[in-house]
Amino acid sequence: MSERPEHGVAAFPGAVARRGEPVTPGMRLPEWEVAEVGAEKMKTTAALLRDPTPIHWDTAALRELGMGDRAINQGPLNMAYVMNMLAGFAGGHDRVRRLRVRFRGTVRAGDRLRAGGVVTGVRTRKDEPGGETLCDCDIELSVVDGDTVLTGTATVALPEEGSDDE
Amino acid sequence: MSEQTRETAAPTADDVTAQIGRAFPGGRFTVERWLAWLLADAALEQPDASAPDGAGDELAHPLLAWTAATQAMGVTWDELFAWFGASADDGPMFGEHETVWHAPMRVGRTYLVSGEITSADRKAGRSGVFDVIGYAFRLHDAGSGAHVADCWNSLILPRRSS
Repeated sequence: MSERPEHGVAAFPGAVARRGEPVTPGMRLPEWEVAEVGAEKMKTTAALLRDPTPIHWDTAALRELGMGDRAINQGPLNMAYVMNMLAGFAGGHDRVRRLRVRFRGTVRAGDRLRAGGVVTGVRTRKDEPGGETLCDCDIELSVVDGDTVLTGTATVALPEEGSDDE
Repeated sequence: MSEQTRETAAPTADDVTAQIGRAFPGGRFTVERWLAWLLADAALEQPDASAPDGAGDELAHPLLAWTAATQAMGVTWDELFAWFGASADDGPMFGEHETVWHAPMRVGRTYLVSGEITSADRKAGRSGVFDVIGYAFRLHDAGSGAHVADCWNSLILPRRSS
């Protein structure tokens, strides 16, 4: 349990969004990689979510369905990798305001993944005084040297100037 | 599981459409620390990345919004599939998903879940006939009553025998 592959961000020591260049449309989000998708995480997730779908944990069922022998990752885990990427960019999971995704392909045990995206707009929230600055993005998750498996859009709240996140 | 036989007829497009508006029983979901830890770990996030931010209980991974919604929707996945005459063995798939967070998910909080079927469409493609089912959930903080999140999803149900 203590072993953890090399991936992701640590404890959000600071928002990538405020470390360097201004956030403007066209800016690439910092990529977030999964070195190797693990079948054991799928089993944990299936139990936590009470997900009865055997393609996530029963390789015999997969073979019976003609779907190969590598377990298929849960869609919510694929979404979570994108949330992690957005949190690293914006400075924390509490800054992720919206995520919309379309599932375009499957991720299998052993795959190496890369989450990324691009800024499409920066705006000030107008429904509250001194509204926070919101950043809209296009996002994607792809198998490295393979297919794009998830695409979508997201909105994060950027750290304020002078905040501890800078 | 492949030896199961179905006595019931495959649902028609009208059967599927008739489910639009059907409300989930709903329920409540408490984000227990052990579950938040394991889910963050499974999501390849540092469980201790959710450090207290001074605004109350410590943060939980945002995936907990979808998790809370689906765990407290008041029916099991198999029961939901059965509303549409399907089962897990049919190979149901996620289509699309959207979550809007109005407040962060937090460890120790209890959330009230409500929701309903919002759309149901029969379609045909290269892989055959399938139904696309839309369903939405709302999460409210059981303590404060605050609206915390909205989740919308679409589910694809292959109709192998249609």
